[in-house]
Amino acid sequence: MKILVPVKRVVDFNVKIRVKPDGSGVDLQNVKMSMNPFDEIAVEEALRLKEAGKAEEVVVVSIGPAKAEETLRTALAMGADRAILVETDDAVEPLAIAKILKGIVEAESPGLVILGKQAIDDDSNQTGQMLAALLGWGQGTFASKVELADGQVAVTREIDGGLQTVSVRLPAVITTDLRLNEPRYASLPNIMKAKKKPLEKTTPADFGVAIAARLRILKTEEPVRRIAGVKVGSVAELVDKLKTEAGVL
Amino acid sequence: MYVTETHEQVRDMARQFADEVIRPVAVDLDRDERFPGEIFEQMGDLGLFGIGVPEALGGPGFDTLAYALVMEELSRGYASVADQCGLVELISTLLVRHGTAEQQAQWLKPVMSAKTKVAYCLTEAEAGSDLSGLRTTADRDGAGWKLNGGKIWIHNAPVADIGFVLARTDKNAGHRGMSIFIVDLNAKGVERGPKEHKMGQRASQVGALNFSDVMLPPEALLGEEGRGFHMMMSVLDKGRVGIGSLAVGIGQAGLEAALDYAQQRKQFNAKIADFQGVQWLLADMAKDIEAARLLVQSAAVKIDRGENATKACSMAKCFAGDMAVARTADAVQIFGGSGYIRGFEVERLYRDAKITQIYEGTNQIQRMIIARELVKHGARG
Repeated sequence: MKILVPVKRVVDFNVKIRVKPDGSGVDLQNVKMSMNPFDEIAVEEALRLKEAGKAEEVVVVSIGPAKAEETLRTALAMGADRAILVETDDAVEPLAIAKILKGIVEAESPGLVILGKQAIDDDSNQTGQMLAALLGWGQGTFASKVELADGQVAVTREIDGGLQTVSVRLPAVITTDLRLNEPRYASLPNIMKAKKKPLEKTTPADFGVAIAARLRILKTEEPVRRIAGVKVGSVAELVDKLKTEAGVL
Repeated sequence: MYVTETHEQVRDMARQFADEVIRPVAVDLDRDERFPGEIFEQMGDLGLFGIGVPEALGGPGFDTLAYALVMEELSRGYASVADQCGLVELISTLLVRHGTAEQQAQWLKPVMSAKTKVAYCLTEAEAGSDLSGLRTTADRDGAGWKLNGGKIWIHNAPVADIGFVLARTDKNAGHRGMSIFIVDLNAKGVERGPKEHKMGQRASQVGALNFSDVMLPPEALLGEEGRGFHMMMSVLDKGRVGIGSLAVGIGQAGLEAALDYAQQRKQFNAKIADFQGVQWLLADMAKDIEAARLLVQSAAVKIDRGENATKACSMAKCFAGDMAVARTADAVQIFGGSGYIRGFEVERLYRDAKITQIYEGTNQIQRMIIARELVKHGARG
């Protein structure tokens, strides 16, 4: 079985985000970019399935600018076998991403597509679900555990009320939650080997997908600054303040 | 300037590893003077030992620049951990350049995986910066040799499995009468001195080794007999890039800690980072760290291009070591009283920095080398 893992290049999670002065979006000039952390978890899960003998090949794909090749190299250095870059400088929305991925799935016929549940830049949390719908496949989203056996995959999902386990027939789409695994470090020998692994370049047009925007961003703003809290001297004072100042009691 | 995308990947991995695995335990390792074997095993799995060993010999096959980047990041986590990486790099470089196929097959893999712990045994009571005072001898005995003498201040001496020992094989041949032997440190006749208690880099285990009639088989000789001094010297350029990077990493950790603190600590109703006196300290730290970093990287690139890198490596090591001591002192200054207390990172960094002016050739020796190279090759040479 082949596993397809889409990965996205996003602002590194350690970076303090700045909004552009004109409010048109986030300033990406001279900002460190990395693989979306949920996608790292997806790559790790695919690699573990391969190492457990349940998959033969892990293919990573990224849709984005030429620089997204770095993100793919990172996935290859973790251990993925080959990569596909769908190159575009335009902002691509989840539905268009899902349509391009559908084209790649039809060409590659993987048994599983594992995606991050969302990207930490726009937090859409849509691509995996849309892809499953377009393909007509089952989906197990927000996975904290994945067990593969007999053409089925049991996905334990992190939902509001606790944990839910669904059984999905293969081929299927899985999206990863934070606790599914801890991604490995790319070792130096694997970083070196990744340079020689195959990386194929295509464009959205190759999949006949129009990526015109359906959404318009009206304004991007910094969140309101949190003001420092107050220290209270005693429980009595706390209760008093909750009553008189906060008005919650 | 010279850093490629692949170098960035290597640096990012080392940085993440240092942040997640090394830095959180540095304060404990320093306090307990503990050898962090579990961290070294992980580093072995990640290919962080023997970075320059070619792929054909089972290594990652990276250049000196990649090694410099890794050393800086590991040292930003904790200098003692980086110093182990530097030690293994020197040993593996010696094996790659001078070892026989059998020696490479026997030692590279266990050394790179940190399963076999190594020591690099040069210094003696009467032989430090000036190796002409070397007294350890290896005399022919049948097909092999018999080793006698003593070494001091040897990194890893209390824990090492094998030592790369410089000894005289011809008493009348000066520097051409020294050879390197790969010595089993658990063999009969090897005695380990007590562990030294040091000012800084306290997780590095340092001590003395004594050899009395230690029998060495013929295959213990590394490379050619009589070429030991030159072999040791041939890896010093790379060693100096390593220690220069280590010093930069200490400085960088100090800047990060001081900048954080200066933006939190309030006096006279203002963050101390708003006071010009503190701003100038921070600015001097940042510019000197960057200058040292670029000197080190430029020296590394000279090695990788096969150019004469002796002066560049000495300048980088000397400048970076002096920088690390001066700028971690500034970091302590910014922390004020807190910076003088055990358990605060900058207090440790200041102690850890000092040895970078001493080991891998003192900074006085570095200045001698720089001046000698100037006289030999001219001001632009």
